[in-house]
Amino acid sequence: MTNTVVIGAGLSGLVAAIRLARGGRTVTLLTKGLGGLQLSQGTIDVLGYAPERVDAPIDAIASLPATHPYRVLGPAAIAAGIAYAQELLGDRLVGNADRNVLLPTAVGALRPTCLVPPSMTAGVVTGGIRYVLVGFRQLKDFYPKLCAGNLERQTTPAGDPITARGIILDLPAIEDMADSSALAYARALDDPSYRAKLAAALKPLLQDGEVVGLPAILGHRDAGAHRHLEELLEHAVFEVPLPPPGVPGIRLNEALTALAKQAGVRIVAGAKVVGFESAGGKVISVGQATAGRIRQYAADAFVYAPGGFESGALTMDSYGTVTETIFGLPLHGLGPDLVTAGDPSDQALFRVGVGVDASMRVVDPAGHIPYSNLYAAGGILAGATRWTEKSGEGIALASAVAAADSILKGA
Amino acid sequence: MFEPDSYEHDLLNRASLDHCVKCTICETQCPVAAVTPLFSGPKYVGPQAERFRHGASVDYSLDYCSSCGICTNVCPQGVHIAELNSVARAAMKKDHMPLRDQLISRTTFMGMAMTPVAPIANAVLKFKPARIAVEKVVGIHRDAAMPTAHTQTLVGWLRGRTAPKPGSRGKLIFFHGCAQNYFEVETGVKTIEVLEHLGFEVIVPKQGCCGLPLQSNGIFDTARVWVRKLVAQLREAPRDLPIISCSTSCGGMLKHEANEILGVKDADLLEVGGRMRDICEFLLEMYDNGELDTSDWLENELTVPYHAPCQLRGQNIGTPAVQLLELVPGITVVESGAYCCGIAGTYGLKKEKYEVAMKVGKPVFDKIVAVNEGIAACDSETCRWQIEQATSVPTVHPIAFIHQAMGLSKLPVTTGS
Ligand SMILES: Cc1cc2nc3c(=O)[nH]c(=O)nc-3n(C[C@H](O)[C@H](O)[C@H](O)COP(=O)(O)OP(=O)(O)OC[C@H]3O[C@@H](n4cnc5c(N)ncnc54)[C@H](O)[C@@H]3O)c2cc1C
Ligand code: SF4
Ligand code: SF4
Repeated sequence: MTNTVVIGAGLSGLVAAIRLARGGRTVTLLTKGLGGLQLSQGTIDVLGYAPERVDAPIDAIASLPATHPYRVLGPAAIAAGIAYAQELLGDRLVGNADRNVLLPTAVGALRPTCLVPPSMTAGVVTGGIRYVLVGFRQLKDFYPKLCAGNLERQTTPAGDPITARGIILDLPAIEDMADSSALAYARALDDPSYRAKLAAALKPLLQDGEVVGLPAILGHRDAGAHRHLEELLEHAVFEVPLPPPGVPGIRLNEALTALAKQAGVRIVAGAKVVGFESAGGKVISVGQATAGRIRQYAADAFVYAPGGFESGALTMDSYGTVTETIFGLPLHGLGPDLVTAGDPSDQALFRVGVGVDASMRVVDPAGHIPYSNLYAAGGILAGATRWTEKSGEGIALASAVAAADSILKGA
Repeated sequence: MFEPDSYEHDLLNRASLDHCVKCTICETQCPVAAVTPLFSGPKYVGPQAERFRHGASVDYSLDYCSSCGICTNVCPQGVHIAELNSVARAAMKKDHMPLRDQLISRTTFMGMAMTPVAPIANAVLKFKPARIAVEKVVGIHRDAAMPTAHTQTLVGWLRGRTAPKPGSRGKLIFFHGCAQNYFEVETGVKTIEVLEHLGFEVIVPKQGCCGLPLQSNGIFDTARVWVRKLVAQLREAPRDLPIISCSTSCGGMLKHEANEILGVKDADLLEVGGRMRDICEFLLEMYDNGELDTSDWLENELTVPYHAPCQLRGQNIGTPAVQLLELVPGITVVESGAYCCGIAGTYGLKKEKYEVAMKVGKPVFDKIVAVNEGIAACDSETCRWQIEQATSVPTVHPIAFIHQAMGLSKLPVTTGS
């Protein structure tokens, strides 16, 4: 018998559901579709820009506005979120919440992030590093020479030069395929014999001491593919995340979904939550539009983790009215000039969202609690421009853990 | 091409394709695109090709879509990808429907033709030279799984038995579908017996085929006639009762596919669809409401590999069989972990699709072979036939384990045929 319902299967929904189930709650997770993890880089960003590039994410939180989710959560909750991700996915996420690293992107920018899979650590920029970026003629999402050229134009944070060159191989994922996706390569690289084929083509082209950057295709299900390729090439190898479909994100999504199932979470996928029932200041049930009927799921506590505008949880109509689509919650961050002609990536609209108190319980802008058993987590929270700050994943983790703990403590 | 202003024409044009944000999530989950370069994947043949269609198709790889519906299920933006594909494929095949597709779409006809001569029909289907001839002439692959006919139908069983005294829990309607009536009589019997054991009086109104095989083969007009007729038959029974189905695909047809793919918007159909419950969904909901007492269920020390069929996922009810089976003391369920066994209704029967279908199902087969202790479970009949054919592991509907746990049949649980 379910006593807790989680809405959403992104990073925040999955982590909240796992923590609740492991804490002894019976959890049903309702979701429309897969969450955003597959579209991520497979790393965990905590805080990359505030607005200057951040080296120590937890220390930088004090400089954020008071309305930012991190200020509501506080440093201890952020550390707890990161620690929980490492507890769940320890062997898949290397790093330290106190320190960012810089990794090359597919276009050769240097991107700050916090936790990275072991298959990416060799790419962390350090003084004297010599990169060789390797692409495939059949993989159109990665141009190694563009990446290398842009890397060479920059320096390490300490001001040391970066050396990089690009190589293009002619090696389809499947014979005769003119155009292969990253996932098709990753599936091919699950097979050791394909790894040997790749190594045979690549090894003669490498120079001593070079660190090899391949697009993030080193195995879909076989976690040993990266290590094996390093052995075959006798070079350090790292993965460069690509635009979606991002294989490192797919791996994280599959790992967390499996953990949720193991923990006994009931996942009901494929249909939108479209309404709810309430009584006495509490949410009693939420209704999911399953085939043929709206099915009500009753519970004593609800975690609302539906993402933001990108997943349709928040919408704006042609009159500029912004709405939260399931509960019609009063929103924070509203005002005139939500959208202006200025920097398109930095608009007031993006900071509109649902407000919470430190226990992650939903509060309205006047400080009232509309439903005492409704908690929110992740991209729905007001106050952050997650993609510009590189803060979305850290917010998702910290708020999911905080919301789950409030429910487990019976707050 | 479809008539202007018809449902199909309308759907081809208005579609939900503008919601597509090109996130590629559907591409990564499509079980067909994962195994063959012949199919360019749901995003391309769905929302992308749709823009250029205006009735006629622009991409013939569309025919490789199995209509498993996984893409629709995982799309976070609500794009009706599989539904777009089904309608577009029907348009593509409209004027040259293969005889084979006409034939395998008429399950009641096949059942009626096979039942009186069941032993002969079964023997012919097991006879290789006959199957080679069938493949050559009709295009059904020689190794594809075919159902086993029975000499007695479910309706025949019902007629021949003395029904138990009506229980105290009230009445229910049972929708058996064609498979339970002709080929999977055992599953139908067990479902009825479980419901009666729980104290329900089970009403079985006269009923024909829901038209799903016609629909999935693109024969829309006839499918509409059949589903409307079935709706009327089911409404002959009292109209305030839940309708229980143990056929995932036919239940799904009435719940949503007739509406979403055939465009039948009749109030009667929507009303019947709203009352339709998969048997495991129904029992688990009873359990959740504290109405299913499992305290006297018998122990069955067994690891059961379980495959959740794609047609079940399309109903958005989760995987109730998993939770239900785990209520049986001793049972450990291991999920197949894959989306589709490849058969997708009648897809895997076709000679040009057979190889693709077997590749699609490989992860399911491998898992079942690796973990089974003599038996596997799956809710859908066509998937069970496919799994048995590919793995030689007897595969039953989950209800068989519940039937046994209630003491209604003996251990070990078997397919009974
Ligand atoms: C273009 C873009 C780039 C980004 N780049 C970065 C970056 O570089 N670094 C970073 O840290 N963050 C980035 N982010 C933000 C980051 O992706 C998210 O903040 C984070 O993944 C949030 O996860 P979530 O679990 O809250 O939501 P999501 O991953 O969006 O998941 C939401 C879930 O809720 C479900 N759902 C939604 N509505 C309903 C409903 N009505 N009924 C049922 N289910 C529903 C969806 O199906 C989905 O499963 C980016 C975001 C975007 C849009
Ligand atoms: S999952 Fe949906 S939104 Fe994403 S590419 Fe496919 S159809 Fe488009
Ligand atoms: S219905 Fe199934 S086979 Fe067809 S595109 Fe969608 S996921 Fe692929």
